[in-house]
Amino acid sequence: MINSILRYGLIAVVLVLLQLLVFNNIQFSGFVNPYVYIMIILILPAGIPSWLLLVVSFFTGLIMDLFSGSPGMHTSATLLAGFARPYVLRLIAPRDGYELGSELSIHAYGLRWYFIYTVVIVLIHHITLFYIEVFRLADFFRTLLRVILSSAFTAGFILLMEYYRKGRK
Amino acid sequence: MRNLLNFLLKYNNLIVFLILESIAMYLLATGNNYHNSRMVKGMQGITRGISERIDNTRTYLSLREKNAELAAENSKLKNRIERSAISGQEAVVLVTDTILGQQYQYTSGKVIQNSVNKQKNHFTINRGKKDGIDVDMAVTSSEGVAGVIVGCSENFSVAISLLNLDFRLSARIRSNGYFGSLTWDGRDYREAVLNEIPQHINVSIGDTIESSGYSAVFPEGVLIGTVSDLKKSGSDFYNIRVKLSTDFKKLTYVSIIGNMKKAEQIELESRFQ
Repeated sequence: MINSILRYGLIAVVLVLLQLLVFNNIQFSGFVNPYVYIMIILILPAGIPSWLLLVVSFFTGLIMDLFSGSPGMHTSATLLAGFARPYVLRLIAPRDGYELGSELSIHAYGLRWYFIYTVVIVLIHHITLFYIEVFRLADFFRTLLRVILSSAFTAGFILLMEYYRKGRK
Repeated sequence: MRNLLNFLLKYNNLIVFLILESIAMYLLATGNNYHNSRMVKGMQGITRGISERIDNTRTYLSLREKNAELAAENSKLKNRIERSAISGQEAVVLVTDTILGQQYQYTSGKVIQNSVNKQKNHFTINRGKKDGIDVDMAVTSSEGVAGVIVGCSENFSVAISLLNLDFRLSARIRSNGYFGSLTWDGRDYREAVLNEIPQHINVSIGDTIESSGYSAVFPEGVLIGTVSDLKKSGSDFYNIRVKLSTDFKKLTYVSIIGNMKKAEQIELESRFQ
């Protein structure tokens, strides 16, 4: 128990640092802003109570907000992603369900499943985040383009990191 | 109670989410000026229609009071008009306390004879030496410069009108302060000529011309008129025509302005000439 808390805590710290030090500095035509820290929500084990998931999401978003000077934006987007995760999992559940407490990884459930899972959560997060950021419907399609491009990059990075994480073991 | 607990247990997920999300929204609204203003604007958009309707009803209901107020104000203003018409007949002599530093003394008077169609026009005022009028005092109408007193009897005085070929007045352009001399060319009773303004100065049609105060007759800044036409002649000076602000054809009530320190000024200036 303590062990796994430490492990996920370490991953979370690494992801937050990666986001702050590397991905926040990507200036690619203003349309691509990958937010890979959302991976924290993705990799938490299947049996985690939903309230704990929400609290983790809240504080992850809060930390991102504190460091990027945008109170509330990342918090609300990450919270929504955390709230949606159980429903998404139920929707795309494999035929024999999830093993309680198992890790949600490519190894356990396959690339196809993991890809869908990642893209859906990332889209939920990015749509919320980008539309809260502009906070109006005037530039709807411009924002949509940003959402799609950024989501593609985020999902790509998350898949790469997932392979790296599993490949090292 | 049990139902409530069951309900809370069943939806604990949603409740925690809503609580945390509302905290996030609160942070969003208070921490970011932009989001805050957008939210306030959105709220106002909803409530504006309702408050407008309330406001309309309220103004309709108070129409009776408004009517009474307007009637009262009307009668007050009418009273004021009548009173001012009476007071216009009287001579107003200001306190002539030279110790206080008052330089110009104003006396009101009425024009009883006037002409505009001659080359050398004069007009007569119903004030004379008895009222403290003296030669070389300035005469202005409420719109601007009118003339200068040239002769006084006990009860009347005669003034040389601005519409006189012999009349000269130091005038300046209000916007830039350059001064020249204003004369009348004997053509049109609504226009005079401003001379001696050099051509390197920016003058445009509509510029205000006022007295310069250099003559010790007129106070500084009395309105004369506005530039109506502007030509560059062969010389170094502009040929400026000035539309007079005073309408000499209906000149009735005038102020006679006496410079109480004029003797002192002239005496001092004569020592250096």
